[in-house]
Amino acid sequence: MKRFKHCLCFLALTCLSSLTAFSQEGVIDSSHVVTLRIDPQSARGAAVSQIFDEVKFVPLETTRESLFGNISELKISGNKFLIYDYDTKAVLVFTNEGKYLTKIDAAKLQTEKADKEKAVTHGFTLVKEGNTEYIAVYTPNNVQYFTLEGNFVKKTKNFNYYSPKLSFANSDVVIRPYTYIKKGKDSTQYSVVTIDKKTKDTVGYFKRDPKFFEKDDWYGDDPITKYNDSEAFYTNYYDYRLYKLTAKKMELAYKFIFPAINTLPKDFITNPIYVKKRFEYFEKNKKTIHGIGSSYLIGDQLYLKLSNIFWDKDQKKSLIYNTKTTELLSFQDLEPDSLSSFLPVTDSGFAYDFENRGFLAYEDKKFYTSYSALAMFTFKERSAGKTNKYPPLLENYFKTGDRKSNPVIIILKPKQI
Amino acid sequence: MRAHFLLLLSIFCLGTGYSFAQTTPPAPTGTIKGVVRDTVHNYVLKAATVSIYKADNTVINYQLSNNYGEFKFSNLPIDKPLRLDISNVGYQTIQKNITIPKGQTLLDLKNVIINPQDVNLQEVTVTVPPISYNNDTLEINAIAFKLDTNATVEDLLKKVPNITVWGDGIITVNGREVKQLTVNGKQFFGGDNKIALQNIPKNALEKIQIFNTADRDKPLDSNLVANLKLKKGKDRSYFGKISAGYGTDKHYQFDGNLNFSTPKLQLSVIGASNDINKIPNDINTLIRNSTYKGVGTSVEYQSDFRQTGLNKGNVAGAQMTYNFTPDSKDWNNKSSLTADYYFKNLESSNIGDSQTITTIADNNQLYANSSTTSSNTSDRHRFNSIYNYYKKSHRLDLSESFNTEKGDNSNSSIRSAQNNAGQLTSTNNSNGQSNYTNTDFTFRASYNYQNYNNWKQRFKSLNASYDVSMSNRNNDRTEITAFRDLLNDANNRDFNRKYLTDSKNLSQTMTLGLPNLKSIFFGNANLSGFDAEITGKLVLTNNQEHNFIEDFVNGNYQQNSYLSNNLKTNVTDFTPGISVSKTFYKNLSNRYYKNLTIKVTAAQQVINQDNKSDRSFQNIKRNYNNFVPTISVNALNLQTGSYQENLMVSYRTDVQAPTIYQLAPLTDSTNLYNLQRGNLNLREEIKRSININFNHYDMKSKNTLYFNVYTSAGIVENDIVDSTFIDEQNRRTVYLTNANGNKYINLMGDIRKSFKFKTSELQLGFNTSFNFSKNPTYTNTLFNFSNNFNTNNSVKTTYTYKDKLGIEASQGISTNLAKQSALGTSYKNIGLTTSFSGNYNFTKKFSLSSNINFNNNNPSVGETINFAIWNANATYRFTKGNNAEVKFSALDLLRQNKAIINSVGVNSFTTSTKNVLQQYFMVTLSYYPRKFGANATKK
Repeated sequence: MKRFKHCLCFLALTCLSSLTAFSQEGVIDSSHVVTLRIDPQSARGAAVSQIFDEVKFVPLETTRESLFGNISELKISGNKFLIYDYDTKAVLVFTNEGKYLTKIDAAKLQTEKADKEKAVTHGFTLVKEGNTEYIAVYTPNNVQYFTLEGNFVKKTKNFNYYSPKLSFANSDVVIRPYTYIKKGKDSTQYSVVTIDKKTKDTVGYFKRDPKFFEKDDWYGDDPITKYNDSEAFYTNYYDYRLYKLTAKKMELAYKFIFPAINTLPKDFITNPIYVKKRFEYFEKNKKTIHGIGSSYLIGDQLYLKLSNIFWDKDQKKSLIYNTKTTELLSFQDLEPDSLSSFLPVTDSGFAYDFENRGFLAYEDKKFYTSYSALAMFTFKERSAGKTNKYPPLLENYFKTGDRKSNPVIIILKPKQI
Repeated sequence: MRAHFLLLLSIFCLGTGYSFAQTTPPAPTGTIKGVVRDTVHNYVLKAATVSIYKADNTVINYQLSNNYGEFKFSNLPIDKPLRLDISNVGYQTIQKNITIPKGQTLLDLKNVIINPQDVNLQEVTVTVPPISYNNDTLEINAIAFKLDTNATVEDLLKKVPNITVWGDGIITVNGREVKQLTVNGKQFFGGDNKIALQNIPKNALEKIQIFNTADRDKPLDSNLVANLKLKKGKDRSYFGKISAGYGTDKHYQFDGNLNFSTPKLQLSVIGASNDINKIPNDINTLIRNSTYKGVGTSVEYQSDFRQTGLNKGNVAGAQMTYNFTPDSKDWNNKSSLTADYYFKNLESSNIGDSQTITTIADNNQLYANSSTTSSNTSDRHRFNSIYNYYKKSHRLDLSESFNTEKGDNSNSSIRSAQNNAGQLTSTNNSNGQSNYTNTDFTFRASYNYQNYNNWKQRFKSLNASYDVSMSNRNNDRTEITAFRDLLNDANNRDFNRKYLTDSKNLSQTMTLGLPNLKSIFFGNANLSGFDAEITGKLVLTNNQEHNFIEDFVNGNYQQNSYLSNNLKTNVTDFTPGISVSKTFYKNLSNRYYKNLTIKVTAAQQVINQDNKSDRSFQNIKRNYNNFVPTISVNALNLQTGSYQENLMVSYRTDVQAPTIYQLAPLTDSTNLYNLQRGNLNLREEIKRSININFNHYDMKSKNTLYFNVYTSAGIVENDIVDSTFIDEQNRRTVYLTNANGNKYINLMGDIRKSFKFKTSELQLGFNTSFNFSKNPTYTNTLFNFSNNFNTNNSVKTTYTYKDKLGIEASQGISTNLAKQSALGTSYKNIGLTTSFSGNYNFTKKFSLSSNINFNNNNPSVGETINFAIWNANATYRFTKGNNAEVKFSALDLLRQNKAIINSVGVNSFTTSTKNVLQQYFMVTLSYYPRKFGANATKK
């Protein structure tokens, strides 16, 4: 699955050839680095209501048309949920109360005679043009535009424009991963590039071999996670450092030290014996943390995801570290209480949606995750007798749905401590 | 009538199921509940082991705390001292003495605080909890259960709450069936659960590990494995049996079996001798039935009353498994050798009578009677070995089988024929004597390469196999025959002929398959689910036959120059093919997974047959060239957590080339009732068939339904059929010819459904088969179709109550019908079998069992035959370890056993009876030695 993500990123490799403005390789400021010693197994538990202000379950409506597998991508636009489902190769639109609105699947995509393949969705992004937001759907042939109501608008061959990017509020700077910068005849690939849309100034960080993905195997998450209007975290593969990226600069924020049993060998990156043998190494050393996944800083709380490709339920990988008190909490030990109607807030320990994907989104200071109807109905059974009052959306879901219904989105609003 | 009785019986079973469930004592009981909490880390413990003991340290019940850290025990005694233990890996064990106060029914302990173990503390006395939960594995610790010193693993499992060992050997954990039982991660002596459960002493066991191997994406599917982990040093063991029995009519049986096991080696040595039809054909059946049996509810291993003739047998053998990688747990890292040797000596005498009615024309039938006696002795040696080597993507299997048999046979038969008017027309009496030596050797090597893990590699898989088989048959035979034509003396014939035949056969088969052509040429491109495969099959056969035949003429044996012959046949059979397949997938996470694969194979079969003989008319070369396409459709429907269904449909073409014995045989004229002639104009038979298989099985944990339906229909073009000329004396000359119009359709089905109640289980099974065929044939030049229709249906219900009582009832009905419209004849036979068996264990030491089956045979010709076989056994076990046993058996109590075989042919109906084993009583003494580990307590 993770390899698949890489393929997508690879497809989206962009080349900023039209750049004429000033471009340079960025310098990383490491003067404010904080070293954290973390033993994941020592993490404590807490009640759900101690961590979150609000927990909301939004079951997604199940009809013949809206039935889908699970959520591989989630985007939030106003009061709408946009979901990409790999099973049905569709982008589905629901209201934030779970009501089904429309979907864009193969039937709506346009295929022309000249196209090599029949159009299917390979993913989507939200694009703002003027004041209107569009769903831009990638197909093998082109990128097709739809309104949020599901109506076709246009299509374009320009894949570059839609490569994954992030922008900060009140700034003209956008961030792009895996990007080439052209200087004269030479072009250099960087892991991450910041571009000022006005001045066209570009700064690249972490120079990379153009055949990066061919020469070795890389296991990890998306390298960039934005956690507020002006900051994002960036990580490298097989590295225990977390960088803070702003419109102006990149700085080394945290350096982690884990217990020896969880730590990669020092020469893991440099020693050629590990090249293309990464998986074999992980297999032999199942407890190693092989990198830092999507992480967020919310107030003083550092939400951390430690990468490990195995499924040992006892290994704690999703943690909350309080940078003030140094208290360490583990997600899998969160105790459901009345705030969550005594239902778990993730499916960890039962299924693997949370473990595989982490949070689906963090927007407007809220985390989004999901689990299947199978998980929800099983959790309800297991918590029998704890409460007989569920919020209306859930109450209705339990009445009308079953184990084969559509998944449930869980919205968690963390306390801003 | 019987059906009604059966229905009643199954209702009775259901009824008892409920009544047993209702017999729980009505005394007031109490409940204890609480939450296990680690206050240091501030969380609840989700899978801590919580157990409740009585004052005498016996476990009443245990639980794992749930997702909320909670535990709750009901049905506990009130006002009695109890002990509550809570343990978890990495924590100090809590022990609390508690009592539910009189007058209360609920004791809420609220938060029970458990403290992490301080690693610096020296020597913490750790009491082992009865169960613990260790990273997805439920472990049952043998030491926590107090049992007497000779208890077995089965006894232990019966003591563990929430685990049930069922009468049929199935184990369930909280109602979920354990699909596989291993000992130290390996199959134990052939994989029969009972061998392991009833022979391994509880004291040799460290723990039982129970885990689910189902796909991690399907958390509610059930595929439990139970592994018996032996204590260190106890993985060296032996167990076995010695037994002797003597009975009425001088019947006897002796048995001896010893099984040794070390971490790398498992070895069994076995021998048996008896005259009561307990002589299995393979060593595994014998071993399975010779080890210690707990007091179960299944029908015992008993005399096979269906076997015909009177048989005395001696068997002996050995079997071994050697693991070169004893510690490997991965299926793809395995290297093991298994080998077995089996010797079987059999002496049998058979007496049989048969009557055959053959229709030769409308309203013209012939009646043939025959009575035969024969006696046979044979010595057979068989040696098999299999070597498996699996390493990552490579898989190599080598197997060998060597078989040699030496025997002699003498037989005599008296046969006669009557015409339509009932007049005796001819007799044919013969005496024969033969001795033979057959030797067969087969070797098979297959190699398989599969690498679907490395997505970058284009070369994904390869299959190759090589088979060679050699056989050598020597036969020395004398036949003395006298044919008397009672209507015309001139046709009388007498023969005294000696046959010396020696045939050698060498056959080699090579196959090669190169699947996944798509990835070789197009890498990981999808190509809309299309893929291709190249296959090839080459069969080379070489046959040599030397026949030396002599006739007794004028006082001495003289060579028969017609039948004495040397014949060599070489056959090359080559089938190259190319397949194109397309696969459709449909997946909805956590809901279902469906796929459909359609595969079309175009193949050409080229057969080249070359015969060289001393007889010039047998020097025949033939070539057959046919297009043999195959189409197959495979569909899978997997509904997460509920059921799985598979559908397979295939269309195939099979070519059968006529052999030299069909084209141009040397006709032996001794048997005038059957003279075989050839036909040089025979063409190859081409069978086109459609085969459909559908099965369904539940992946739920209880009350599972399973069914399987198989149907096959085909048309044979150029079917090689008999064209028989029969005269009034029943002399037959059979010519072969091609005919069209042979059609068939077969349907087979199998349904099983089980119902589990609290302490009992009911299983229902239904088996059905329907076969229809339309066979063309010629009788005295009259072309005729024989329509044959056979059915077989049976229902079976099994009821078990704990390990105390087992009842089984079954009803079967079979019909055979043959109709020849051109001859205006039809034959019919209906057979009914009803059987009941029951088993009741009074104590662990004493049990009674009995079984009876009623047989009713109702042919359209001849009389209805009824007989019943009733058997009963009483078993008493003694000594401390229940290692000694005395058993009294009474078999065929009603002395009614008969062997009646009715068969319907193309235009004939045969009724025959054979001599069989009948009533006997026997007393058997057995001793079961057992020892596990170097210093295990010896029993």
